[in-house]
Amino acid sequence: MGTVSIKNLDKTYPASGKNQAFRAVKSIDLEIPDGEFIVLVGPSGCGKSTTLRMVAGLEKITSGTIAIDGVIVNDLLPKDRGIAMVFQNYALYPHFSLFENMAFGLRLAKTPKAEILRRVGNAAKILGLENILERKPAALSGGQRQRVAVGRAIVRDPKVFLFDEPLSNLDAKMRVQMRSEIAKLHARLGTTMIYVTHDQIEAMTMGDRICVMKDGEIMQVADPLTLYNQPDNVFVAGFIGSPPMNLFKGNLERREGRLFFHETAEADALFVPLTGRLAKLVADHEGKPVVFGIRPENISESPYATDSTPITATVELSEPMGSETNAYFKTGSGNLIARLHTERLLAMGDSLTLHLNLAKAHLFDATTEQIIR
Amino acid sequence: MKASTQERLKAAAAHTLLIGFIALILFPFLMVIAISFRRGNFALGALFPTGDDLSLEHWRYVLGIPYTETMPDGSMRTVKASTPVLQWFWNSLKVSTSASLLIILLSGTAAYAFARMQFVARETLLKSLLILQVFPMVLALVALYALLQLIGEFIPGFGLNTHPGLVLTYLGGIAIYIWMIKGYFDTIPVSIEESAKIDGATHFQAFVRILLPMSAPIFAVVFILSFISHISEYPVASVVLQTEGQWTLAVGAQSFLYEQNYLWGKFAATAVLSGLPITAMFLFCQRFLISGLTSGGVKE
Repeated sequence: MGTVSIKNLDKTYPASGKNQAFRAVKSIDLEIPDGEFIVLVGPSGCGKSTTLRMVAGLEKITSGTIAIDGVIVNDLLPKDRGIAMVFQNYALYPHFSLFENMAFGLRLAKTPKAEILRRVGNAAKILGLENILERKPAALSGGQRQRVAVGRAIVRDPKVFLFDEPLSNLDAKMRVQMRSEIAKLHARLGTTMIYVTHDQIEAMTMGDRICVMKDGEIMQVADPLTLYNQPDNVFVAGFIGSPPMNLFKGNLERREGRLFFHETAEADALFVPLTGRLAKLVADHEGKPVVFGIRPENISESPYATDSTPITATVELSEPMGSETNAYFKTGSGNLIARLHTERLLAMGDSLTLHLNLAKAHLFDATTEQIIR
Repeated sequence: MKASTQERLKAAAAHTLLIGFIALILFPFLMVIAISFRRGNFALGALFPTGDDLSLEHWRYVLGIPYTETMPDGSMRTVKASTPVLQWFWNSLKVSTSASLLIILLSGTAAYAFARMQFVARETLLKSLLILQVFPMVLALVALYALLQLIGEFIPGFGLNTHPGLVLTYLGGIAIYIWMIKGYFDTIPVSIEESAKIDGATHFQAFVRILLPMSAPIFAVVFILSFISHISEYPVASVVLQTEGQWTLAVGAQSFLYEQNYLWGKFAATAVLSGLPITAMFLFCQRFLISGLTSGGVKE
């Protein structure tokens, strides 16, 4: 069993010299059930790595508790916590062979020789390293090195695997391959895994659940599709998805009995008539500042069956991808990006009628940045 | 001028300059060797002594082998060295080696603390170490003398005129080595030791089994530098060591040069002798001076 329970976890780096005190993690709570693959994701400096390092025992906990398997581990040494960690830069022992790299922990624990052979052999088999166990890390490619680091973690037979941006140092192709290898490893071992990354695609493709963090706080914890379709706040909405969700600041206005979203801008302001579900949701926010959000794929040239609303816009740039075209339309404060399924080339300056799928659009309170539901 | 001619001229100029520079360094060394093989005590003479000039008398003298000497009146006599040069050689070796080993031990552990641990006044201590090192140890000679005398009253083995006492004074000058080793430790990613910690290693195990093997080159460098500086150290040794039998080569060699008589030949032979262990140490330590020892462990 490998449940992880984080309660009121707080980390403050004390002021030293010219540096001011810095509160990296702000009283977060997170429950991770046994066997879950949870991804901590967020921009750099959001506290995700610090949180992971506190779980690992490499960073002192300022306040709050971390329990693994029901046991509070705040004061336990890393080796006694039942965790194994894979580092971004592999952190292999360069003077040891691959075998010794993986066996080091077992040797320190005075494990019998036969058991070491069995466990290292088993890990090597899972990762396809059997034939190069005598080599030193310098003789390996980046992907192989990271595989050794994963092997070193497997050998420890941990309750919880910790990954600290393990794929960031690999090239794009290797990254995709290792991504699926780690996902398969999780399926095979069924062990709890906590995975830190700044890459939202990694987060979306690998996680059972994703925990989005910003400035030391948790923004939302949910499965990938919930996160994508029902973001709790502006930050999550803008962070997940590529190209990102269109977000516009503006006001809710009523004209001739109908509600409109009116972008705050000098000219070319976006003016969206609201209908259906969205209109009902925000009825009592009339006259208030809001943020309107809609994903590029929820904009099309033909009307949607329900909650569809038309606007006219001018093409500023188009990026034909073959199967679809990313079109950038001019609005008051920037661009409206639409992923259009069109077979013709769009020219700059073209004026199009676009239909917005309001059933999939979101409105956020501009002051709290929370979704209005 | 053709390009190839210009290239050739450039190469010729560079070579002339370099050869001149090497000669500048090499000539004094060759002269010392020549003096040690020349009959009598003459600083000047042929660079390669031949015929009557060539003599092994100085070498026999320093190695303690009886030899025949030409007296000023022309008569010959057989003499055996009255000075224990080989004893000095052994003393030098003992003092330099043990001082260097202890310096590695002390500066290595201190550097680890400075590089990897957080403690109060860490930065201040590091800087003050460097500032203290600015003052040559010779300036503290009187204090060292007094201290050793005091220590000797309680622990005679570490007092004046003892080798452990001398080594003790040498251990005071390790700030520069701490800085060197710390600089090297700083280039080794912390995550390697962190992963050792997760593997169950203690601070000490991570230091000894992971960090030390990766740091062999810097320890070899520190050992050589310390060895050289201590085998040729004169001022402190000459004050601390008072009886002839305790002297090191540097102190002993100086005794061949006194106002009334400069025994250049014996001095030169002693000097060459003290160069031998340094050379041997270089050849030995060379095997540790390999680059790329830390490569492969992490992605830079």
